[in-house]
Amino acid sequence: MKFSITEYKHCDLFKINGRVDSYTSPIIDHALKALFTDGHYNIVIDMQDVSYLSSAGMLVFVNGQKQCQRQDRGEIVFAETPENIFSSFKLAGFDQFFKFYENNTSAVGHF
Amino acid sequence: MKTKIFLGNFESLASISNFIVDQAEEAGFSPSDVYAIQTAVDEACANIIDHAYGGENVGRIEIRVMPIKKGLKIVLKDTGEPFNPDDVPEPDISSPLEIRKERGLGIFFMRQLMDKVVFKFSASQGNTLTLVKYKGG
Repeated sequence: MKFSITEYKHCDLFKINGRVDSYTSPIIDHALKALFTDGHYNIVIDMQDVSYLSSAGMLVFVNGQKQCQRQDRGEIVFAETPENIFSSFKLAGFDQFFKFYENNTSAVGHF
Repeated sequence: MKTKIFLGNFESLASISNFIVDQAEEAGFSPSDVYAIQTAVDEACANIIDHAYGGENVGRIEIRVMPIKKGLKIVLKDTGEPFNPDDVPEPDISSPLEIRKERGLGIFFMRQLMDKVVFKFSASQGNTLTLVKYKGG
């Protein structure tokens, strides 16, 4: 799993490549918390190159969204989410907590 | 029938997924069913490491994949603590974000994505989890 973070004027684009499971999700969790610590709460997760997302991975984003809500600042949104992964979000009932955009341009434009 | 034994740690999950995806594709499942089977097995193995073994590198996970009529049967064995699925409450997937509980999602996924999920424990053999998926099921 690899990731990159691109800072835009109003948000950060967090692009993930590979599997997000119990092995790799702590790395994502750490990076997300570092963004919050720096005061960056507007986050677009680019899911295009994510090959697999487990419940542990989903919980990282759910907990991140909870933190945004608690601080009353920003939110996490998703872009280019593959169909199989979106189905997992729906199955867990987590789709109601996030906005899903077709592409990065519209997701970044949300902020 | 193919059997592989993996170290019970999170780093093994990618190799386990590769093994399962290959077997499910070979059995002729659709891409969405292959993803569902991958998810069920990944969640099962993460649960074994977290709950049966109580941590990483405590024991091994044996995975046996058997083609059956119209589908695939996957048997996972571990020698960890007895696992009773009834001890894990089903998540309330409609609860709001601030009170949403985190436990039980793995088993919930297994039950939703597979056609049959059977947990067994014996003192001599440990935990045996059988997952069955039928094509188009």
